Amino acid sequence: MSSSLPLIPKVFERFIQSWADKRQPHTNNHVTVDRHRLYILPTRHGVAYFLILLVILFGSINYENSMGFMLAFLLGSLGLLGMIYTHHNINQVTIKIGHAKSVFAGQNIDFPLYLSCPSVSTHPNLKFLSETGQITSAHLIEETSTSCKLQLNATHRGYISPGRIKLFTEYPLGLFHAWSWLKLESQCLVYPTPDPNHYPLSFSHDDTNGLTLGDKQGVDDFFGIRQYQAGDLPNHMAWKAIAKTGELQTKLFHNEIAEEISIDWKNTSETLDIERRLSILCRMILDANDHDIIYGLEIPGTNIPPSSGLQHKHRCLKALALFGSTEQ
Amino acid sequence: MTVNTQSLKKLSNTPVFWVVLSLAIVTSPHIGRFPAWSIMLISILFLWRLFCINHEHWLPPKWLLVIISITSFAGIFLSFGTLIGKTAGSVLLSVLLAIKLHESVSRRDFMLLISLSFFIIVTNFLFSQNIPMVIYMIFAAIVLVIGMISINQDSAPLDLNYKFKFSVKILLQSIPLMLIMFMLFPRISGSLWQLPSEKPSALSGLSDTMSPGNISNLIKSNSVAFRVKFRGTIPQQQNLYWRAVVLWYFDGNTWEIGMQNISQLATLYSLSDDIISYTVTLEPHQKDWLYALDMPFNVPDSLIYTNNYNLRAKHKIDSLYQYEISSVMEYIIQAKITPWERSSGLKIPFNTNPETIQMGNKLSRQYDSNEDIVNHVLELFNKENFHYTLRPPLTPGFNSVDQFLFDTRRGFCEHYASSFTLLMRAAGIPARVVMGYQGGTVNPLNQVMTVRNSDAHAWSEVWLEDKGWVRIDPTAAIAPQRIERNLEAALDPSESRPFHMQINNGFIRDVLFYWDAADNQWNQWVVGYDKEFQQRLLEDILSRKVEISDIILLMVISFTLMMLILALFIMKPWYYQKLDPVVKIYNSFCKKLATKGVCRKPYEGPIDYTQRVIRVFPEQRNSIELIIRLYTKLRYEAISSDRQLEQFRYQVKKFKPGK
Repeated sequence: MSSSLPLIPKVFERFIQSWADKRQPHTNNHVTVDRHRLYILPTRHGVAYFLILLVILFGSINYENSMGFMLAFLLGSLGLLGMIYTHHNINQVTIKIGHAKSVFAGQNIDFPLYLSCPSVSTHPNLKFLSETGQITSAHLIEETSTSCKLQLNATHRGYISPGRIKLFTEYPLGLFHAWSWLKLESQCLVYPTPDPNHYPLSFSHDDTNGLTLGDKQGVDDFFGIRQYQAGDLPNHMAWKAIAKTGELQTKLFHNEIAEEISIDWKNTSETLDIERRLSILCRMILDANDHDIIYGLEIPGTNIPPSSGLQHKHRCLKALALFGSTEQ
Repeated sequence: MTVNTQSLKKLSNTPVFWVVLSLAIVTSPHIGRFPAWSIMLISILFLWRLFCINHEHWLPPKWLLVIISITSFAGIFLSFGTLIGKTAGSVLLSVLLAIKLHESVSRRDFMLLISLSFFIIVTNFLFSQNIPMVIYMIFAAIVLVIGMISINQDSAPLDLNYKFKFSVKILLQSIPLMLIMFMLFPRISGSLWQLPSEKPSALSGLSDTMSPGNISNLIKSNSVAFRVKFRGTIPQQQNLYWRAVVLWYFDGNTWEIGMQNISQLATLYSLSDDIISYTVTLEPHQKDWLYALDMPFNVPDSLIYTNNYNLRAKHKIDSLYQYEISSVMEYIIQAKITPWERSSGLKIPFNTNPETIQMGNKLSRQYDSNEDIVNHVLELFNKENFHYTLRPPLTPGFNSVDQFLFDTRRGFCEHYASSFTLLMRAAGIPARVVMGYQGGTVNPLNQVMTVRNSDAHAWSEVWLEDKGWVRIDPTAAIAPQRIERNLEAALDPSESRPFHMQINNGFIRDVLFYWDAADNQWNQWVVGYDKEFQQRLLEDILSRKVEISDIILLMVISFTLMMLILALFIMKPWYYQKLDPVVKIYNSFCKKLATKGVCRKPYEGPIDYTQRVIRVFPEQRNSIELIIRLYTKLRYEAISSDRQLEQFRYQVKKFKPGK
């Protein structure tokens, strides 16, 4: 990717970035753009604009054409005022970042950004550039706040923070490029990419037979009642039994007993690399969840007892996402 | 109706629309200067591009654009014989940008087109620099700025009203900066390069030949030839003979300058001490001659003073030109005639105007003194049935003087000057024709005299023993009012007048005086603003000698100052700092802690925050608690005293975290 700054090679952009980082080390989940963190440079169009005016100025000197002088000076002043307006367009805008929903690696993370300014004013065409090159625009038009979604490509599993977001604008005249690098504190948990292939889910009590998806047995076969466990589905609550005993009870169905499975690290081929094995496990969790199968997860260092439900799914996926990392 | 406003709104957010409009506006003053085919071509290209806004597949293919370009190159070359002259270059630029428009689809192309259209604005200034032009420039700039905003607004929902107001605002803010630069940008004199000259456009003005009908034709134009500011009193109307060209050679119909006057002896004896000094501001007329009252006296070195006692510039006057000159009204020039002048001043075209020549010969036999011959002819014009008219009958051919003197007897100044001069030559008196202007209108508002093309005139000079060349104006004999007042007074009441002479309404006349005065001010202050004027003006203002380095310094300082003022006005930084002093002090307290790594979280109130701070700096518990007690008291309790505020300020100032 070439530099996101006008007329500046990529190498220099990195240099400027590190300099800017030294000036503004402090990060938070919100930031107000002020002159300390605001930079401005002419765009390619700006350089062309002023060069053309320079040619007009030389022509006017040569022909002693007063109106030519006037035009060059009028448009030159206009361009310089355009610089102030471009600077003003992002100055004092406050940006706050929200939490992003978890996604699978390879997908786009949507970080919500909330923009506000101290008073009702117009700041059109504010653009955000994420580290992976996606651009989002936001316009504050006669209002004090608005929001937009910054897209960031989830390149790997684990926690991903938005990193260095570039806020920039070229409004109103397009002659200057004003920008600020924002380091906003937020993170998004990225699950491993689910493997594109489906795998047989192996049952914990019967390792010989794999259950392929599709031949689902009667879900409604009532089997019995047991004590509530975290992760049990609310619509499986045995309300009558709860009323009688005063304890939380869960109805058990035949298939759930029969199809309690364990998704085990050891069941994946050792010849595959770690990421691939995590992808397969991720796919298995999703499949099991889709088919209301009670499942547990066993990976080195983590053992999640069988259960079902959204929270359980998240817990398992999180374990996969953070596998091998120090974070928990 | 809603559909209309909808589509209008959509259009006003379409960059192409604004780019086309900008180009159309900057090109439009050229209508009339450009050949008709090019105007047609440019209009079609503009309309076509507008049509393509919603039908992009109709954009012309590249090969067609190449063909159009080559054809228009050829067309321009055929029309002008060049591609880089003033008009030819302007046509070329306008056509090329109109073609480029059809290749433009991206933001980048549009931005470039907007910037290049500045060049078209400049080409207009090569032709005209008057007040309407600056109004046009401002108008064009508004549209250009709206265009630039439209290109850069992206998906922002901005309405036309907002964009218009913004452009007007930013332009108004640019004007003071422009004025500073215009006044203080150091001017240099002299050209760095020259555009190849083109055959001059048909500007109305005096030509260098005189044939029956060409001055009376020029009279119809009311355009300004030059303006004069007199240093002292303004001379009387009948003495205002503005000398320009001396014509020696006559072929029976047309008078021409002929060969260069090679006389060695050019002498002028002033008969009076009364020297008239004045400044002439000459409108461009594409010729090199200048105007001065009979007779120019102290001629600056920058001008050429010829043996015919007229002035020439060292180059063609193609832009407003100003010069200072003095004249004397009573003089003797060339008391001794040179052989060249005698022979040239007596030359009679062979085989033409026989009756006139016969009459001249008869006069020379009849009178002993040359003065008597002159007076006889003038009396003849006055007494006999001669008429002064703007619409004389045609006298074509090489016997035009005969036809006039003995047949039609109706003529304008050129007829009288021509026939008088020929008669004198036939009578043996050296004579020549002088062309220029006679009279002028003084604007009561600024005492500046305006001489228009309608004041064009021709008269004679005859050489008399001891008196030298003497001005004889035969028109004065037939129509003295022409000389004493103006042309309008001299014409027969029944004769229809050119339009500009029909304005008798006092109000319109006043308005025209105002306009003329404004035009003159504009010429003096803006169009004629050059190195000398700048120097003089700044020396007047600063009342000391001004060097070019002073001007540059002054320019930089005042431009920067003005920019600063405007920046403050735009950014309004005080707006963001209008905080409660208590909050300000509290913020500085938080900032001190933040440097030690204890940042206040945005959701943290003062109490929660200080609890956290105390945990980090337990040994400073007392001072922190005091500060927060003061803060909550000052901020949240209705009653608070200045003393408490001072105490709070002091405590925060004293506080040093981690010590």
